[in-house]
Amino acid sequence: MFSRSQAKAFFLIGTALCSFVFLGLTVDTFRQMPQLTNAHNLSPEVIKGKHLWDVNNCMGCHTLLGEGGYYAPELTKVYERRGPAFIKAMLTDPESMYPGRRKMQAYDLTEEEMDAFVAFFKWVGEMDLQGFPPKPQLLPVAVPAAGQGGIAETMAQPKVFNQMCVACHSMNGQGGMVGPALDNIGSKMTKAELIAWITDPKAVKPETTMPKLPLSEADVIELAAYLTLLKSPTSDPSIDQQEAK
Amino acid sequence: MNYRTQRIAYLFFATSLLLLSLQIVYGFIMAFAHSGYDVLHDIIPFHVARATHTNLLVMWLLSGFMGSAYFLIPEETQSEIYSEKLAFVQWLAYVLVGVTAIVGFHFHWWEGRKFLEIPRPLDYLVVIDVLLFVYNIGMTIWYGKKRTTTAVVLYAGLVSAALLYLPGMIPTDHQTADSYWRWWVVHLWVEGVWELILGGLLAFLLLKLTGMDREVVEKWLYVIVGLTFMSGILGTGHHYYFIGTPSYWLWIGGLFSALEPLAFLGMAVYAVVLAKKGGRRHPNQNALLWTVGCAIMSFIGAGFLGFAHTLPMVNRYTHGTLVTAMHGHLAFWGAYAMIVFGIISYAMPKLTGRKVYESPTAAFAFWSSNIGMVAMTAAFAVAGVTQVYLERKVGMDFLAVQEEVEVHFYGVILAALLFTSGIAAFIWDFIRYGLPKQERVEDVYGTDFIGA
Ligand code: HEC
Ligand code: HEC
Ligand code: HEM
Ligand code: HEM
Ligand SMILES: [Fe+2]
Repeated sequence: MFSRSQAKAFFLIGTALCSFVFLGLTVDTFRQMPQLTNAHNLSPEVIKGKHLWDVNNCMGCHTLLGEGGYYAPELTKVYERRGPAFIKAMLTDPESMYPGRRKMQAYDLTEEEMDAFVAFFKWVGEMDLQGFPPKPQLLPVAVPAAGQGGIAETMAQPKVFNQMCVACHSMNGQGGMVGPALDNIGSKMTKAELIAWITDPKAVKPETTMPKLPLSEADVIELAAYLTLLKSPTSDPSIDQQEAK
Repeated sequence: MNYRTQRIAYLFFATSLLLLSLQIVYGFIMAFAHSGYDVLHDIIPFHVARATHTNLLVMWLLSGFMGSAYFLIPEETQSEIYSEKLAFVQWLAYVLVGVTAIVGFHFHWWEGRKFLEIPRPLDYLVVIDVLLFVYNIGMTIWYGKKRTTTAVVLYAGLVSAALLYLPGMIPTDHQTADSYWRWWVVHLWVEGVWELILGGLLAFLLLKLTGMDREVVEKWLYVIVGLTFMSGILGTGHHYYFIGTPSYWLWIGGLFSALEPLAFLGMAVYAVVLAKKGGRRHPNQNALLWTVGCAIMSFIGAGFLGFAHTLPMVNRYTHGTLVTAMHGHLAFWGAYAMIVFGIISYAMPKLTGRKVYESPTAAFAFWSSNIGMVAMTAAFAVAGVTQVYLERKVGMDFLAVQEEVEVHFYGVILAALLFTSGIAAFIWDFIRYGLPKQERVEDVYGTDFIGA
């Protein structure tokens, strides 16, 4: 067939050629990288966040860009998914947002360090990642269909709801399972009750595990307004009447 | 043993098995955490356990490779190790650096980059240590009586593995660039130069155990490592799909990495055919079992399971999920753990003069570790596929999905118990062989055909 020296030549030439192409592509990749990753946004704060990411070995539990441990949520899009307040709450006290769940390492971070993490996650989330992470296509997150309750149901879902609340609550079968599903909450609680509850759950019910979330007053009112709209058609009209007064 | 200085290999093998035992302990810690019993969280949180588990893996495999080289190079070059003292110092330094790194992880002294967690100052020590090793082996080959292809391929693998450690140390503030260089170490190791080491060790074992003609064995060795590099180098692209790199990596990485299984298929066919063709029955059937087993399992773990998630349209969904953990386990086990076990099985009777080749414990070690590992891989696979489906297709929350797959980690634990019993049997056998002795154990087929 062929001799050992021919086989050797095949090995050497093939390897040399492939290495050469690989080096060329590496040069080109580094040429294109700044644009694909918005390197102009790489502020000192972002770099500090990257540094903190490394020294704290967050990658030991989390994946970022799909690389890391498989124990904790993928964080590439965490800025978009949860927003700064949630991220900072998580880093201040990992038990706050997910009480009694799988444990995250507790860190003793300063305010600036937490801001650096937030900036870092924002920068990572804005990279061009060729479609990763994929958008789930089977049951897309949807605001409950309007037109069943009677009142003005056209209100858009507040952004903080998707960032702060779905971690523990589900809606339409999607989201967390720490707290009860909120699909029908408008039929159970009035707007005033909701405002009181969301502002400080412990004040309403001391033994509750729902944390006091870092929300502005405007956020709370917007959330409560939105939640009161979530009711099934068969809901008890008496609450509506109370609300009307 | 045939050469006095081969005895140094024993130290490396013993170290290897010790580190493996520790690695398994940390594997259990993580498997329990995954199944809802993160009881050690306050002492050994998950990220500590993970860094320790994977770094111990790399350390014991490297220790096994070094031991293999110290055993094999004298046989291939027909000469003693250049400096046994240097080999001993290099072993001691390796152990010290390794222990420091592992202890350091528990005090959060690390770099936080997956697989390359060893902190920078220790990185330099690792490099120096490996340079000493490479120097020692290099001088042995240089002054040796013979220079065989097998020895040269093995040596080329060891030297390039040392060199490829360096890109992992390039400083950068950019997450994408960091990841880019990290893969030069991680990928180009396991799907590149480590395969040279694997190929060299495999060729050596097949030569010794089957008595096949060296010309034929080494010719095919070149073809296989040629296939490895021609697919594996550009195959690095399968890690550059979604990290902020240009889109051409999707098809370049996809195409070339899809060809990588060919090299593993080549190895499997090569081992099976040579073992059959050799015809003669070497008394150390146990070593042959590990050798052929290694070639087959590496094809399944690296080749088949690697292919299963390497195409970009699949990887978009499986990237960074338990599917990767499934592949990582069987690939490392089949390709690199099993070859070290093969060399140890071949070397121990020769090193110690205890000519026991087959025993019920040895058979038990092989079968239960392999069946255990395959079952563990299967449990990871079910957990992984479920995770991909619920999280990436249905859009369920990460933690909710993790609760769904908790039960599969009971499966992981059960399988890991079976696996561990096999490893325990192997270690028990290893201890029973005793320490190296200066008794010459002739090669079954003589050393005469170590020609050319
Ligand atoms: C020991 C493992 C571990 C380590 C280390 C760790 N985390 Fe976490 N993290 C978790 C787990 C588990 C969760 C899921 C929520 C929970 O159960 O607490 C989480 C949740 C989060 C979340 C919320 C994600 C979401 O989608 O709701 C953020 C943000 C986060 N971690 C950031 C970090 C950062 C930044 C670091 C490094 C400084 C870090 N984590 C280190 C385990 C870890
Ligand atoms: C850390 C998890 C967590 C987060 C985040 C969270 N909740 Fe809760 N929530 C709970 C738990 C647990 C309960 C059940 C409390 C109880 O009954 O003691 C609850 C109860 C509620 C209830 C009462 C439900 C009922 O049927 O009685 C409402 C309303 C509510 N949450 C709204 C919100 C809103 C709005 C947000 C976002 C701003 C939010 N929650 C974020 C955990 C959470
Ligand atoms: C026998 C008991 C073992 C158990 C219970 C176990 C369990 C685990 C677990 C739970 C993880 C973490 C996955 C995650 O990040 O969530 C892991 C990672 C890993 N283990 Fe093991 N393991 C064992 C043995 C081994 C062996 C023998 C090998 C090698 C041959 C190995 C190689 C790896 C590798 C390479 C990773 C990293 C995977 C990745 O990042 O994709 N493990 N192991
Ligand atoms: C012996 C050889 C191999 C070993 C030891 C091995 C091991 C591993 C490990 C440990 C990882 C996880 C790395 C990380 O996330 O940091 C990984 C990832 C991967 N491997 Fe392999 N592998 C081998 C061969 C192959 C082959 C031949 C293929 C393709 C055909 C392949 C395809 C992949 C892919 C696509 C990933 C990325 C997974 C993801 O996106 O999360 N591997 N491999
Ligand atoms: Fe790879």
